Amino acid sequence: MSGAEEETKRVSRRHFLKGSLALPLALTVAGGLLTVPSLRRADARGFYLRPPGALAEKCFLGACIRCGKCVQACPYRAIRLAETDAGVAIGTPFIIAREEPCQLCTDLPCIKSCPSGALDKGVTEVEKVRMGTAVIIDRENCLSIRGLRCEVCYRNCPLIDRAITIEPRHNPRTGVHTIMEPVVHRDKCVGCGICEKSCVREQPVIVVQRTPLPQQDAYEF
Amino acid sequence: MALSRRDFLKASAAAAALAAATGGRLGATDVHAAEGGIRWGKAPCRFCGTGCGVLVGVKDGRIVATKGDPAAPVNKGLNCIKGYFLSKVLYGKDRLTKPLIRKGNKMVEASWDEAMDLIASKFRESIAKHGPDSVAMFGSGQWTVFEGYAAAKLFKAGIGTNNIEPNARFCMASAVTGFMTTFNSDEPMGCYDDLDLGDTYFLWGANMAECHPVLFSRLIDNRLKNPKVKIIDFGTRFTRTSQMADKYIRFNPQTDLALLNAIAHIIVRDRLYDENFIRKHVVFKKGKTNIGYGLEDKFKFADDPKPMTFDEYREFLKPYTPEYVSKLSGVPAKTIEEVARLYADKSRKVNSLWTMGFNQHVRGTWVNNLVYNVHLLTGKICKPGENPMSLTGQPSACGTAREVGTFTHRLPADMVVMNEEHRKKAAEIWGVPAEKIPAKPTYHATEMFRALDRGDIKVLWVQVTNPFQSAPNLSRYRKGARKGGDRFIIVSDIYPTRSTELADVVLPSASWVEKEGFFGNAERRGQQWFKMVEPPGEARNDLWQTMELARRLGHGNLFPYKYVEKEMFEEYRKFTLGQGKDLAPYEAYTKARGLRWPVVNGKETLWRYAEGYDPYVKAGEGVKFYKNKPNDYKAVIWARPYEPAAEAPDRQYPFWLCTGRVLEQWHTGTMTGRVPELKRAYGGAVCEIHPEDAKRLKVKHGDKVRVTSRRGSIVLTADLRGRGKAEKGNVFVAFFDENKMINELCIDAYCPISGEPDYKKCAVKLEKA
Amino acid sequence: MNFRRWTIIRRLVQVGVLCLIASPLAGFSFFQGSLAAGELLGIPLADPLAALQVVLASGVVASAFLLSALGVTLFYWLLGGRFFCGWVCPVYLLTELGDKLRLLIPAGKLEIPLKTKGWMLLAVACITALSGVPFFEIVSPIGMTTRAIAFDGRSALLCLAGLLLVEVTLARRLWCRSLCPLGGFYALVGRVAPLRLRFQPARCSSCGDCSRVCPVAEVLVPSLDHGTEQIRSGDCTRCGRCVDCCPEGALTYCFGYSDQGGPR
Repeated sequence: MSGAEEETKRVSRRHFLKGSLALPLALTVAGGLLTVPSLRRADARGFYLRPPGALAEKCFLGACIRCGKCVQACPYRAIRLAETDAGVAIGTPFIIAREEPCQLCTDLPCIKSCPSGALDKGVTEVEKVRMGTAVIIDRENCLSIRGLRCEVCYRNCPLIDRAITIEPRHNPRTGVHTIMEPVVHRDKCVGCGICEKSCVREQPVIVVQRTPLPQQDAYEF
Repeated sequence: MALSRRDFLKASAAAAALAAATGGRLGATDVHAAEGGIRWGKAPCRFCGTGCGVLVGVKDGRIVATKGDPAAPVNKGLNCIKGYFLSKVLYGKDRLTKPLIRKGNKMVEASWDEAMDLIASKFRESIAKHGPDSVAMFGSGQWTVFEGYAAAKLFKAGIGTNNIEPNARFCMASAVTGFMTTFNSDEPMGCYDDLDLGDTYFLWGANMAECHPVLFSRLIDNRLKNPKVKIIDFGTRFTRTSQMADKYIRFNPQTDLALLNAIAHIIVRDRLYDENFIRKHVVFKKGKTNIGYGLEDKFKFADDPKPMTFDEYREFLKPYTPEYVSKLSGVPAKTIEEVARLYADKSRKVNSLWTMGFNQHVRGTWVNNLVYNVHLLTGKICKPGENPMSLTGQPSACGTAREVGTFTHRLPADMVVMNEEHRKKAAEIWGVPAEKIPAKPTYHATEMFRALDRGDIKVLWVQVTNPFQSAPNLSRYRKGARKGGDRFIIVSDIYPTRSTELADVVLPSASWVEKEGFFGNAERRGQQWFKMVEPPGEARNDLWQTMELARRLGHGNLFPYKYVEKEMFEEYRKFTLGQGKDLAPYEAYTKARGLRWPVVNGKETLWRYAEGYDPYVKAGEGVKFYKNKPNDYKAVIWARPYEPAAEAPDRQYPFWLCTGRVLEQWHTGTMTGRVPELKRAYGGAVCEIHPEDAKRLKVKHGDKVRVTSRRGSIVLTADLRGRGKAEKGNVFVAFFDENKMINELCIDAYCPISGEPDYKKCAVKLEKA
Repeated sequence: MNFRRWTIIRRLVQVGVLCLIASPLAGFSFFQGSLAAGELLGIPLADPLAALQVVLASGVVASAFLLSALGVTLFYWLLGGRFFCGWVCPVYLLTELGDKLRLLIPAGKLEIPLKTKGWMLLAVACITALSGVPFFEIVSPIGMTTRAIAFDGRSALLCLAGLLLVEVTLARRLWCRSLCPLGGFYALVGRVAPLRLRFQPARCSSCGDCSRVCPVAEVLVPSLDHGTEQIRSGDCTRCGRCVDCCPEGALTYCFGYSDQGGPR
């Protein structure tokens, strides 16, 4: 090896150290310091109604590669991809139930299409889907609870009489009628959002929310 | 210009009349003082036959709010989801506001004068060339009493034809003939109070939970308060009603006839009947059997009633053993025994409720007779909380179609054109010579559309209904309507429909509170309302349209009224007085939240034929079927056998098709379809299939299936998880969807006695599409 | 200028990839998904870096997914690693456009070493493992572009416009040359890839055209300066522009390793 070559090599090593290593390292450390804490709270963002079979939000955000295959697999075009405003969830699939809820296809094509396992292939029956839980968030404005014969959410529920049932009780206001209150059963509700879509009020009084975690206490009911 | 001058005069006359009509009185009936500039007026709901009362809030000439009327005895301030959206029903974007006349393939806007002149000339021409039976009117159980009365009067007493039919022929006719053959007077003896007072309720072919929502709420409340109450739902499809019933009894389509005879069989076999009641109030009769299905054009049928004895009736019932009927119907013999005992249980007040499962039936009259048989045998009738009750689907099927008598064979108040005395009485009240009213009924609804197809009817005017979506075997009649020749079709409606698209002239109508009106609900309750808002654009009341035609045909003298609605009502009222159908003076209805006829001395009648309630029944008589003079004031128990349906599944078409309604949409969806919220809640017709059938056909929930009958074919989404669960071998499709007209598949077989088609049974095949 | 055979073929392939990604919009179903994961005629394809991130981020191991990622890696190994960049990646097409724009406006000349990509790859792996989200899939302009094409991604287009601006005003081909971790990954693969560019020093007239057109001209240095017979650097995108532009035909595609041996 000639001296000139030696020189080049040294220069390039210096160059490497100065330009090639320091800058990216600095970038990595700075970027990491900035991003990691915010990314760790990823699942603390608002509730996204994920397609059927989605892993728990935190895990889902890790496993979803934002490829959009489930969007293309959905025959009802219910699944859409999150935009930049979704932060770390950008490009992940979600459902706006009020606009187009999950119709719970018997063969669950979205789950089949997911390559990365973010939608769990172990979920093969619609009854096993757990996207969220429907909750009547505004009892005051629920027509059925006000005694009117509405119950549209109940009659449209794909798991009618299981996920939503009617609990009739006497209506003291008229004295001769029944209040037919729709009641959601958390252990059966799959969170498809069809009830939210079908609610006739301007603001839906029944919406799908994140399924509350079971709470453990030293008390047996 | 003459026409604008006349319009002006009419308009100001109308304004004056309105002022006279409503200026003072609307104030009197205003229930709530103006709040926030909103004036509230009362009206019955525009939808089903329940007849819920609503308060309509008007501000700046527009309906801005509605609410259930707390003072209305029917619903006490509640509504179903359709009623909740009443305020939006009139304000769809595509309201018809101008008369339209067909020019080739286009509908061109025209003035009222042009349109009415054209219609009048077509009527004149056709009557001159082909006689009065070449023109016809197809009306509605949604007609106000005035509209129906004016149309009947014009056609029967003016033009001189019985070519007038309501769409109620498609939904109530079998109930009518059932009442007429058994009691010789139309409409139920009971009322909604029975829902609060009874112990046992048998529902037959009625999805009350969805089709009579507010009444169902009342029925369920009775059970909540009284644990003794039992609701038993007989059906061929598991519905929301079945879900809430104590027991759901599934039977094979058409075998209701056999089931009711089996119940009677057990009651007679085990002497569970009320001997005293039978002796005093019942006669036995039999009619013709093998009576056909009316599938051929110009089908005619006349029954030949023969009296029989109780023993002969007992003999007639012999074959209907629980074992035999169990095989036929698929209901276990033990269940039939239990049901019979429940019907006869002396410790229970028993009611039967039914709707279209009975009425839309090729033996609709028979099956109505048969349910009365059971009540008459056990004496469980005409008592508070204990009655058979036919529920209706349209707001004034009772008030207008049945009471005014807008059927081809009828005259007001239970009278018929075949009876000379009846014709005389009608002619007298109408101020025309008795000969003017033709004695022969012409076409009932299905035959009317067949006559149009053949070309026997040239000019047809359709008001307040949508027959080219709701008729059975629809393709034939839709094609028939556009066969050309001399055929001329006029459709009055508030929105473009599948019927207006076939019309030569489309007239924009006023609806509901855009006009003064009067409806009669299923419990004989007449309810009046005032005009509260102006119709949009040039839209006008159907009543005005009919009278305008009358004027142009030279029959203006039939309608010599100043305050049209009131004077017309008082004239109509004359028919009812002393006939056990007495209506109150008009004034009374403007104040009351409806009154149940007969109203005698200002007192309404809750239970007909019952002492203490019905003023026509004298003290000591207990129960008296006073309208049934030909049968010695007794009700008739009819020996009506089981006969098969017109078309049953076979190898080629292996499924029963049943059609019906859902809570969110009403009839052909022309009004509810304009409410976005209701559309979102239930947007389009689907095909309910039993999961096992679907599996065999390799159809999943949400797949497209082609449903085909001998008459038509349609592609629908398969529904395996819906609110209604089809039984094995059955499918169900709602008929409201104008883009999926299932009635194209329905057979136009009808009950030979009532003329009502069977929308509940025909054979179809399914294929994955 | 001679007939630019490889450039034309490459453009066709690039546009073809865009069409493939957009094809579901037109109702076709032979391709689904995007470059992160897709399915072509029923064959599952997966981005190896995406697969790596899923494993690091969530611990979810979908064997089929990893296998297809392996298959894709082998495919690009065969074709030269950053062949993906030069022939498939839509962002490369975008930065090529940026390159053209640089001729029109005064452009920045910042240079960041090619190797930075590799460090970026490491950084992505670290951040992904620490944060539990597939970090690169969130910020990747490749993902944004493909999603913008296949789905509705208007805001993503904004990011891409920003990228273009940086490319033009700050540094030439900044993203593809130096920053893209996926490029870094394929650069590693490309080092040992059998499809390479062959240099015949005898024919070279030292006109320098190849260096001018090459987006990563550094890779030509050993050959031009020292006559190395093959372009061995993994950074070479096998785009073939040098092949097209060399008036003497000194540069050609070749398959296999030269005498001077494997990598470096």
